[in-house]
Amino acid sequence: MQLWRTGGLRRGDLEMLRRLDDMFNMMNNVRGQSPRTFWTESRLFPLMNVKEDPDSFVVLTEIPGMKIEDLELKIEGGTLTLKGERKAEELPPGASYHRREIATGPFQRSLTLPAKIDSEDVTATYRNGILKVTLAKEKRAVPKQIKISSE
Amino acid sequence: MNTQGIQSSEKTGVNVDKGELTHEGDFFTPAVDIYETSQEIVMNVDLPGVKPEDLDIDLRDDTLSIIGKVTETDNKGTDLLVEYKVGHYYRSFLLTDVIDRSAISANLSDGVLKLRLPKAAKAVPRKIPISEG
Repeated sequence: MQLWRTGGLRRGDLEMLRRLDDMFNMMNNVRGQSPRTFWTESRLFPLMNVKEDPDSFVVLTEIPGMKIEDLELKIEGGTLTLKGERKAEELPPGASYHRREIATGPFQRSLTLPAKIDSEDVTATYRNGILKVTLAKEKRAVPKQIKISSE
Repeated sequence: MNTQGIQSSEKTGVNVDKGELTHEGDFFTPAVDIYETSQEIVMNVDLPGVKPEDLDIDLRDDTLSIIGKVTETDNKGTDLLVEYKVGHYYRSFLLTDVIDRSAISANLSDGVLKLRLPKAAKAVPRKIPISEG
């Protein structure tokens, strides 16, 4: 089983916050509004979608607003590790936030792929805030003919 | 609350109560940062997967609406893991008179839209004409 990093909250905290969350939802429902999550449980970042082709895996990740130099991609065995930091914009002096919904900070995620991959044949592109990593599967050992010589 | 790193926020669908969406497909509410300086109000909107030509910013009356469409999706292959849904983005804001509407500028890079809303040099005074008689 794969264990994911889920932030720094302990189990007890999670339970308590989930209950609070339920309570807020209940209150919202009473007031006739659509349930709006006040606090969602600790989630992985960034979220990944993985697709499989006959000869490759494609890992898609939504991480807008990154600089390429702040992203680090590593392949070790069959495990892909994405590390990076989304930096907050430096505000000019005197500026103040009205609304802050975009999460910033460091992140790291590892993903183990279900088949052997050729670590030499991995390409990654970052476009429009989406990171796309294409990992080619390892070519099956090419059958080799062995000559038998007679003495 | 958490100092270990960032977490992804849930993609919330556009609230149907506000209505007016007659477009096809799923729409999500993008995350927004808004800050104000003495000169302007700046908005950063997360729109991953939206190309500049698929972004529509519309200012009508007091409403600034942002519609970002995701036109390019990778549909090849079979899904092994699906953690996020792909869809378009929609969000609208009400602008106040403090903003100089003719000078709004927008820039989209790496999936983040930066909108600069400069403040008007002087808030235009409103006079109410009174008729005699």
